[in-house]
Amino acid sequence: MPPVEKNAKSATHPRGSFLDPAALMRIKSLELRARLVVQGFLSGLHRSPYHGFSVEFTEYRQYTPGDDPRYLDWRLYARSDRYYLKRFEDETNLRCYLLVDLSRSMGYGSLEYTKADYAKTAAATVAYFLSKQRDAVGLVTFDTQIQEILPARFRPGHLHRLFLALERSPAGKGTDLTAPLEQVARTARKRGFVVLLSDLLAPPESLELRLGYLRSQGHEVAVLRVLDPAEIDFPFNQAAMFHDVETDRELYIDPVFARQQYQSRFAEHAAAVRSLCTRLGVDLYDLPTSQPLEHALFDLLNSRMRRGRQVARKAGVSR
Amino acid sequence: MGILAPLFFAGLAGLALPLIFHLVRRIPRGRQEFSSLMFLSPTPPRLTRRSRLDQIALLLMRLAALSLLALAFTRPFLRESALLSLQDLPRRRVAILVDTSASMHRGTLWQQALQQVEKELEGLAPQDDLALYAFSDRLERLADFASNKGDNAGEAQANVPAAELVRPRIKELKLTWATSNLGLALRRVAEELDAAADVQQSLAEPQLVVISDFQKGSRVEALQGFEWPKRLQLIERRLETPKPTNAFAQLLASDEAAPDEVRVRLVNAADSTGDQFFVRWADASIAEAATKTAAKLDPRRAVEGETAVYVPPGQSRVVKLPRPPKLLADRLLLRGDEHEFDNTFYVVPPRKQEITLVYAGDEADNDPQAMRYYLKLATTGDPLREVQLPALNPQQPDAKLLEAMRGPLPPQLVVAVEAGSAEWQAALKTYVEQGGTLLFVPRDQKELASLPQLFDGLEISDATPRRGENDFALLGEIDFTHPLFAPFANPRYNDFTRIHFWNSRAVKLKTQPVKDEPMNPATPHVLARFDDGQPWILERSMGQGRILALTSGWQPDDSQFAVSTKFVPFVISLLDLACGTTQPLAGVVVNEPVPLPTLLADKRTTPLTVQTPDGQKLLLAVGETKFEQATMPGVYTAGSGTDELRFAVNLAEAESDTASLPKESLEQLGVRMGRDVTRAQELSHMRQQRDTELESRQQTWRWLLAGCVGVLILETWWSSRAARVERQSAEAVA
Repeated sequence: MPPVEKNAKSATHPRGSFLDPAALMRIKSLELRARLVVQGFLSGLHRSPYHGFSVEFTEYRQYTPGDDPRYLDWRLYARSDRYYLKRFEDETNLRCYLLVDLSRSMGYGSLEYTKADYAKTAAATVAYFLSKQRDAVGLVTFDTQIQEILPARFRPGHLHRLFLALERSPAGKGTDLTAPLEQVARTARKRGFVVLLSDLLAPPESLELRLGYLRSQGHEVAVLRVLDPAEIDFPFNQAAMFHDVETDRELYIDPVFARQQYQSRFAEHAAAVRSLCTRLGVDLYDLPTSQPLEHALFDLLNSRMRRGRQVARKAGVSR
Repeated sequence: MGILAPLFFAGLAGLALPLIFHLVRRIPRGRQEFSSLMFLSPTPPRLTRRSRLDQIALLLMRLAALSLLALAFTRPFLRESALLSLQDLPRRRVAILVDTSASMHRGTLWQQALQQVEKELEGLAPQDDLALYAFSDRLERLADFASNKGDNAGEAQANVPAAELVRPRIKELKLTWATSNLGLALRRVAEELDAAADVQQSLAEPQLVVISDFQKGSRVEALQGFEWPKRLQLIERRLETPKPTNAFAQLLASDEAAPDEVRVRLVNAADSTGDQFFVRWADASIAEAATKTAAKLDPRRAVEGETAVYVPPGQSRVVKLPRPPKLLADRLLLRGDEHEFDNTFYVVPPRKQEITLVYAGDEADNDPQAMRYYLKLATTGDPLREVQLPALNPQQPDAKLLEAMRGPLPPQLVVAVEAGSAEWQAALKTYVEQGGTLLFVPRDQKELASLPQLFDGLEISDATPRRGENDFALLGEIDFTHPLFAPFANPRYNDFTRIHFWNSRAVKLKTQPVKDEPMNPATPHVLARFDDGQPWILERSMGQGRILALTSGWQPDDSQFAVSTKFVPFVISLLDLACGTTQPLAGVVVNEPVPLPTLLADKRTTPLTVQTPDGQKLLLAVGETKFEQATMPGVYTAGSGTDELRFAVNLAEAESDTASLPKESLEQLGVRMGRDVTRAQELSHMRQQRDTELESRQQTWRWLLAGCVGVLILETWWSSRAARVERQSAEAVA
């Protein structure tokens, strides 16, 4: 499952038809922002990738000892004298965990808003969208340690609490993905959907183990990589003391000389992260903060829909 | 071009500041926040551009402003005249005062003093006036101002520097044993320096250089109340010895009750380091031996004959030091300190005076009713006198005694109670005329008859002699100025009212002595009278001797005089009168006039020989009553034979107080202490003064400061213009 290419997406979605992120960020209420994005988006249910008792039939499968006899299609048995299990497309309630990185590096922003603002809005939008579909949404915000935890629920007022938790989360210090991923792995026994919103400005090796652990528990993992355009392009011209907001380190940098090296190292890191995600079966989406938010949702949901069909198709093929 | 405060050139170090500021701009002022530096590595500084200074014109202006400021603070000026030389220094009148007191015997102080005098002479400029003085307890002028610059020196000497004229006089400086009277010497010399004779002298700067050890014992009281001349500066050349420990021993007056218990006081100087001393009796031979072995002796242990005394610095101790019985000790020796000069205290070895007192009467010497008995009691037991009391019968005088009375050593006193034979009377007359003393006490009315033979103008009165317990006479009038009664002159002892006289032989003076009339030696002089006006004691001189007569004796039949407390002092006084005093002279110090006893002073017909401790014989002219040449410590001997007088001369106690006299104590007395400056320093001081004057007249610093302000204004304008241009170009690019 290849990740969705950013450039390809932005080509398919003309800029004018979406909400300008800068205009969106000027809206103070997070809930309002999420609602605005979702309303401009599609409506309708998404397909569940899981099978179970449902309305929509998907396929038959030959009975093997150990299968639940409740699912035997007695009518077919009557017709063909063979045992078949009848399988349906399941419409379950999704359990989604939003992991929002609020480390200091997320506080950086060369535009009018920071990466953290963007990530919070994205998380709020996903949460709003899913709760519209009556899915359970949980939230974990973190920097070097977990700051807020809301378990995945669907109940009245939960979404509001989630928005509040997002809003009051202050800018933290460094980034440590280990603790939040472990926490999610411990608490979410039931399989679900884990969405990680982070800039992933950390060595890729530290990511691999935790993401792999989540995947092994059967969670579906998507990583929304929030990046500032300045981080991608390194557009500086003046030589200056560059201050690392996360570690407070200072370096004298002349961008004229450093740009090329930066871009190549950045590309290396991005490639490493990408290959890691590919290896683990994790969806990676780049979210430059200059892009409209709908893109993110669109990409995410589009890929999920596709995955759902692919799963169904694969199941059909295996039958 | 000269500079007044070159130290401010250090301000040029401030020139580094603009240089640093211009280089500091190389560090980027911009600061860029960034999310993560994990993809960045530091860019090395670009040397080609950064090592170059930009804004050279601004830099130069700032450097110039700072240089002008620093230069203004150094206060430069333009020198007009040539450099100064020693000849340009003001003329001085320098008096050098050298301490020659006994304390200068310590260590190498005297050598130091002489060297210091030489040094002072070398430091003088040719035009300076100079006087040289030596002082101890008196001030001695060795060379005065007039002798080297005065008219009497002659024109030939006018151009010779004073130092060269005075230099030969240094040899005349002699160390003495006298005490130092610093105050008096300073006062005298200050007065002399202050009294300028002419304009040239009054313009010269007076200076008083004192070369001394400034010991605490130097007397400075003379400066009290003295107004120190305002211009006169005292320059102190304090001589010091590295060994401070000094102590001295002093014999205290013996207690009359216990004459054998000799007490010695030891005093340690305040700045001493040692505190263990040894003192002993010695004579000349022991002292010589002690000097030879002094270096070998253990400084902490006493040798035989010594008494160890512990005296902390600045304190004194009194110890008993019995005289060794067989030693004729004439000095006390002290050991344990570091300076010898005051370690010997001389005393006159005690010697009993031998007196022969002839008693002319036939009484037994153990008859308590007779006078002889009491006279014998009164003259025995005197520790200083041994009195022989031979008796003779005046009716048949002993030929041997008569011979002795005429001989070269006659008895000192004859006490006669009866007139005796004609031969005896003739012998007595001769004896008295040759200088003897006769005390005639008529035993009874019969013996009184011979009294008018001795005294002219005296006749025997017919008054009835008194008898009875309640009928007595008292003494009414006593001449306490007479040597016989001088010991009783003190009101504590002059009460004679308890002595009752029952019997007295009444006599009458034919003529009363008239005041202011030359007295006839033959007429009696009444020394004491009874309360009824009758004379008790009569005196007359005859030839070289004298005759005393009592009209009432001391035997119990006549009076209570023999049993009264006045009798023994009276007899001693009588012996003193007849034989001279037996009291040794106490506390004679060097250079102090020694009064000669009456015998030595009055009765001399030939010059008196005085032998000094170093064996020199000095002759004292007839009529001299004082010996004034006791210039060194030791035992002096005046006269010879029975008239010999020995007296010990010692160093003054103050001279042994060798702790240093604080400078402040002189300042408290108003002395202006001068700074010790060499001629070169003085010259540079003068030069500096002239430069300051020149600089304050020129005031170049004002121009430099104005220049500095001007440059700063230019710099401000220039930098603001550069900033404006830069801003405009930046806007144009944007």
